[in-house]
Amino acid sequence: MVKGAIEYAPSTFEERGAAVAFTTPLLSQTRVRRGERSKLEVLIPSLSQGTGIYVVAWKAVPDMVSMTMHDRYLHGLIVKEEACSPQEIRRATLRAARRGLAGPQAAQAARRALEEDEEQGTLTHYLLVLSILKAAGLESPEMLKAGIDTDEGQRLTRQLMTRAAESLRMDAALLYARLADIAAVAAPVGLAHAPRPGRLTRGLNDLKCFRDGMTGWARDVPGDASPVAEFCAEVAQHTIAIGERVLGDFHRRMDGIGPLMRDWDDAFIRVRAQAARMGWLLDGWSHITGAWEVAQGEDRHRQAATVNDLFRILPLLPRKESSRDFVEDAKQVTPAHRRSVRMLEDWRTGQMDIDAIRRIEAVKARAP
Amino acid sequence: MRAGAGQDRQADRLPGLESRLFDIPEAKFIEVVRLLERVRDHPDVCQTFTAIRPRLVQVRPDRRPTLKRVLCMPFEDVLESVSGVDVPPGRIERRVIDPVWRLVTQRGDAALIDQLDRQVQETAPGNLNALRNIGRRLWPMAAQAVREGIRPAEQGRPTSWHMLHIDEEMRRQMLDVAAFLEIGLTAESLKDALAPKPLSVLGDRHVRAIEQAAQAVARQSAGLVHHLLLVAASRMANPADLLTVLNDLDLGKARRERPMIFAQLSGLVVTSLEERSARLDGSGFGAGPDRAAVAIAPEEAVAIAERLVAGVDTTSAVMDVLADPAYRERLGGVKAAVRAMVTGAVLDTAPGGILVAVPAPSENGRPIPVDENAQEAAEDHARALRRCERLADALGLHEPLKEAMESMESGLLARARALLAQYPKAVGEPGDTETAEIALFYALRLLELVAGPARADQFRTAIMAATGELAEEG
Repeated sequence: MVKGAIEYAPSTFEERGAAVAFTTPLLSQTRVRRGERSKLEVLIPSLSQGTGIYVVAWKAVPDMVSMTMHDRYLHGLIVKEEACSPQEIRRATLRAARRGLAGPQAAQAARRALEEDEEQGTLTHYLLVLSILKAAGLESPEMLKAGIDTDEGQRLTRQLMTRAAESLRMDAALLYARLADIAAVAAPVGLAHAPRPGRLTRGLNDLKCFRDGMTGWARDVPGDASPVAEFCAEVAQHTIAIGERVLGDFHRRMDGIGPLMRDWDDAFIRVRAQAARMGWLLDGWSHITGAWEVAQGEDRHRQAATVNDLFRILPLLPRKESSRDFVEDAKQVTPAHRRSVRMLEDWRTGQMDIDAIRRIEAVKARAP
Repeated sequence: MRAGAGQDRQADRLPGLESRLFDIPEAKFIEVVRLLERVRDHPDVCQTFTAIRPRLVQVRPDRRPTLKRVLCMPFEDVLESVSGVDVPPGRIERRVIDPVWRLVTQRGDAALIDQLDRQVQETAPGNLNALRNIGRRLWPMAAQAVREGIRPAEQGRPTSWHMLHIDEEMRRQMLDVAAFLEIGLTAESLKDALAPKPLSVLGDRHVRAIEQAAQAVARQSAGLVHHLLLVAASRMANPADLLTVLNDLDLGKARRERPMIFAQLSGLVVTSLEERSARLDGSGFGAGPDRAAVAIAPEEAVAIAERLVAGVDTTSAVMDVLADPAYRERLGGVKAAVRAMVTGAVLDTAPGGILVAVPAPSENGRPIPVDENAQEAAEDHARALRRCERLADALGLHEPLKEAMESMESGLLARARALLAQYPKAVGEPGDTETAEIALFYALRLLELVAGPARADQFRTAIMAATGELAEEG
């Protein structure tokens, strides 16, 4: 079942796998991916004190590692749904947390996140309708006045959208279908002119705060963990730079909603790929930025331990996504990282360390 | 008449303000403290400061500097804490501050005091360097004033300390204060090296800093090294850790005094542990389910117990070389007090703290939603119970802990099974189904925290079978 330790430098996001917000310390933020014959498999970093990554068949994980009840439940959901993209994994994670298995605060946070997702979806849909009408020169003050959630507003919207479909030379049903598809793709990222940024855009902003926090901490707290913090800041900065380019490009394409609807086959694939790329770029970072926020209330030794924990799960960019070889660079940081790793030992024994579990659950309550 | 009425209104308002100052946001609290400091000499305001001291300690706003506060800087870490059970070794009681200040102002150089007081008033809060520069001139003068003020009586001349109405214990502490003042600057720079307080791990660079500071003080006077080490100990989460490195320190000119310093310091560490354990009882931390439940949360009780047991263990290991049975007995007494506190606050209260969070099945068959605050508290209690496992060896708690865990496991299982039996009645009504399922999963979580995932997994399987998710999980 264990395929063995490998020096791990994935080429693509899919090969790197999506991070799973398990609460079992040993499994926290391990990555699931589709392996040979499309079977799900999990990548577990250094089960013992050795280096490398272990590739384990997903179904075998509960037999190998003692898991929390939350993780047994989440594991089952992922098996059932064959989930392995960041979006699918997130949905399963929120469903598991909503059950209360990571504690009441994580349950409340999951409920809020699911509600926000729904609100963001509705808002994006509404803004896209307005964009389409504007592109077709059909802006209607009456519709805006009535509001899209009233019967009158919906009747007016249908009427105008039918005319917009004619103007775009397509069937109204097709326009609605494409609108639903594009809204589903755009909602997690958010539209440039939306009153509230989408979840992934907020994630990118959080990452900027994390980068600044790590840089400041490395400067203010000299010690073994400061080069590790500097490296974390560099990886964050590199991810931010790529993320901002992708986001800018995504927003430009979304602004041209008319051409997007007309050149659908090609344009939609591109927009969907950009949104997916944002998802993959930020995958695993919400736990890291959340953990660093939680650590702000702790002493410097605990913060140093957190920096080292975060280094272990840092989402290094795959080779095809970055010109810089972070996997190689991480090896230069490793010796300094190992020197101050004592407080991490509990995390690696696989024993149920209730304090470590609680810290992970505290992050989940903050960044579900 | 009108003025009197105004004073009454003020007196009425301030006590109300005290309680509200515990609830307002931190930024607002700091703002109010700044305003109060402008009129801090008013008796009501002094009383207010005393009442809000716990939050001042917690928030630590940059207070308006005063010369009295500068005087206390070298020994501020050795002052007894206002609340809680932590007592630094060689602690100075707060009641000593006023007589010391009186001696300094009465016997010290009045012109210098006036000059320094003006400088302090012009110094911004938080400007530590400026305050230390003032201290550099204040502390040696103050040390001399205190020493002279409490000199033993000379023939035909009464002691001035009797006139100050201070007892022998206070006089001893005032002598310690004089010693801290003499090493003021070195103590201040050592505090920087041993930051932030409390230091949970004593690293190499900390040990080097203590060694260098000790050598500097030894050049001044070998007798002052002990006080410098008290400053170092007061910065540490477990002051007994200092004993473990003491024999490896090069104390410079105080090399010969090392055995005496070790004996003095270890004696004070033991005394401090005893005082801390005595506070467990004296402050309502003691045994007894009702009393403990009110006085201390289970998780806090375990955290205090862990710190005290770590202190006792380190001290015992280091002091074995002294082979003094009296110390062993005293440390045994500390452990007994800790055991009583843990028993009262964590074990005895477990049924009320944990089981009560699982709702009993309702008579009408409709599921009762779990109170998430009660669930949160029950989870904290369950974690505290599990953390007691680490203390069981040291405190001889194996049997009572085993009994408490078994009783919690069977109690939780009984309640969880009752909920599961009632679950089919909730199926069909979407809201009820979810409420019933969440109640089951919360009960499962408590079971997991108390009994571990392996034992809880059987109940998870039973829930999944009932909800139809087991087949899907396949």
